[in-house]
Amino acid sequence: MANIAAQRIKREFKEVIKSEEVAKCAIKVELVNDSYTELKGEIAGPPDTPYEGGTFILEIKVPETYPFNPPKVRFMTKIWHPNISSVTGAICLDILKDQWAAAMTLRTVLLSLQALLSAAEPDDPQDAVVAKQYRENLEMFQITARHWTNVYAGGPHVNSDCDDKIRRLVDMGIEEHQARAALSSYNWDLERATEQLFS
Amino acid sequence: MNVDDDTLYDDSGNETSGDDVDFVIDVDNASNKELHSYDDEYQYEVLSTDDIVQHMVDCIKEVNTVVQIPLTTTRILLNYFNWDKEKLMERFFDGNQDDLFKEAHVINPFKKVNAVKPKISNKLLGTEECDICFMVFPPTQMTGLECGHRFCYQCWNEYLTTKIMEEGVGQTIACAAHNCPILVDDQTAMRLLKDPRVKLKYQHLITNSFVECNRLLRWCPSPDCSFAIKVSYVEAKPVACRCGHVFCFACGENWHDPVRCGLLKKWQKKCDDDSETSNWIAANTKECPKCNATIEKDGGCNHMICKNQNCKADFCWVCLGPWEPHGSSWYNCNRYDEDEAKAARDAQEKSRAALQRYLFYCNRYMNHMQSLRFEHKLYASVKDKMEEMQQHNMSWIEVQFLKKAVDILCQCRQTLMYTYVFAYYLKKNNQSVIFEDNQKDLERATELLSEYLERDITQENLIDIKQKVQDKYRYCDGRRMALLDHVHEGYEKDWWVYSE
Repeated sequence: MANIAAQRIKREFKEVIKSEEVAKCAIKVELVNDSYTELKGEIAGPPDTPYEGGTFILEIKVPETYPFNPPKVRFMTKIWHPNISSVTGAICLDILKDQWAAAMTLRTVLLSLQALLSAAEPDDPQDAVVAKQYRENLEMFQITARHWTNVYAGGPHVNSDCDDKIRRLVDMGIEEHQARAALSSYNWDLERATEQLFS
Repeated sequence: MNVDDDTLYDDSGNETSGDDVDFVIDVDNASNKELHSYDDEYQYEVLSTDDIVQHMVDCIKEVNTVVQIPLTTTRILLNYFNWDKEKLMERFFDGNQDDLFKEAHVINPFKKVNAVKPKISNKLLGTEECDICFMVFPPTQMTGLECGHRFCYQCWNEYLTTKIMEEGVGQTIACAAHNCPILVDDQTAMRLLKDPRVKLKYQHLITNSFVECNRLLRWCPSPDCSFAIKVSYVEAKPVACRCGHVFCFACGENWHDPVRCGLLKKWQKKCDDDSETSNWIAANTKECPKCNATIEKDGGCNHMICKNQNCKADFCWVCLGPWEPHGSSWYNCNRYDEDEAKAARDAQEKSRAALQRYLFYCNRYMNHMQSLRFEHKLYASVKDKMEEMQQHNMSWIEVQFLKKAVDILCQCRQTLMYTYVFAYYLKKNNQSVIFEDNQKDLERATELLSEYLERDITQENLIDIKQKVQDKYRYCDGRRMALLDHVHEGYEKDWWVYSE
């Protein structure tokens, strides 16, 4: 790994560890291996959002040419958000693409992602299905996002209605996550989700 | 997404290279301008890479005598206005100058702004910390633009190198600080870059964007040719590069009279659609709806921003429509349109019949193209023949008719080739029948000429052959002109009706 990149990551690592956000348990970075090429990030779901109470794990890959090229970041924790793929965890955020500036750091990236969770950009969607729901049925979106936070990110809000519907599909032999994804896409309409799964 | 946009340039070393070369150098402007014209009064100049740089410097100076700001700032402004001097002057003198500089992402040279205070490291007094590598340097090893963001020399070099070599950005590299839009000027870039290879590429990018932005300039499309053509107004006319390649200035294709640029482009797209490569291209790429650059999507969301530095169109990958409405009223492109689907089915049936017709024309077009390639070989054999005849008591001048005949044969082939493109799109009417007669006549004469040239020339039949060849090529040339004149007249009088 190039000298600058390693040097930078080491320094940034310290920066995040001693930052005040860590004290508030809002963001965290961990090493995955010793070479500083791969890191594990963690952000807390911001308060007053459906993600509140959840902890979201991020995969951060640092390229050779860091900090002149942006780090590659992806959500490992499954999440229901217009700008994040519900399938792959890929993120649509300008600073991770062409708006990246060499003077930005892991801390600013993690904080920007946290900000993205509180303020979605449905006009620039990564996941078209989620974005559609966000625009057309905000309440349904919030229910879904909260449910996903509960199941995948350890959020506190259990939604028994959702769980019931998923169980009915699981009883029919559908894998649990597949059932959840289908129901989420069809605004928790059991009939349409079933139709889609068996067609 | 990847946009293949730098194939135009060859690294033939035609460019001034090496260290300490600046764009803003004063080169003695010995005027060696030479106006050419290919067949009629359409005049143009052939520029070498050095001439282009000179031309660019002249443009900058010309504007600078009026606006009186630093040369590097003038360049950024000119680039912002796609090298349209009038537009720049207009905005400079009529509009709000502050806004103008802001839009073009440069610091207003008439104003001293409060520069960002350098970050004083608390470890050592009198040192600064570089925000990129986090190392501490004495102030002499730190540098920055007018905006006041300072970084160490090594980081600047790395940053510019990444932008230039990986992203292919030239004129529009911004300051490395977060959210700072101020652009790096060429002098600074050349000063901060170390690797001569990167410098050369940077110069290429800058000259390239100058030529691409400038409507009156066009690179010679011939492979490995580094000349550009400069005209005083844009028209679909033939121009001949110093390398010998003759092409249409408006579209850059081989000179294609009688068919016009738009139809030719359509035709070529159609022809290309048949090959294997194009199957792959069709399956994996799309074209930018604004500049037609071919784009491969290799990740990310559907909001595309064309990477062609002179285009930067915002559009949706799915429907190729502008991005704007997607933002405000949600995707129209996810709705299956029943009427459109029916139309598509009808179109499919029609296309079967159209295919037959297309193959007919394509076949003939390809034939002439193939023959044209063979005729280029003919030059070699004709040269041998000419030498042989000179051995048989004929003077040099007496045998020149053979070369002339091959010249005309090639011209006729080329014209015939494009008449099939024209004919393919033409709707039948009285004039199109006359056109087809002309075409038939020219084709028959051309084939005869070709046949005569293939014959062995012996002492006995020499006089006879010469007479025949001369008569035939004069006839061919005449018929070719007649055909072209007829088509041109039709353009003027709106005779031609197109089928697609």
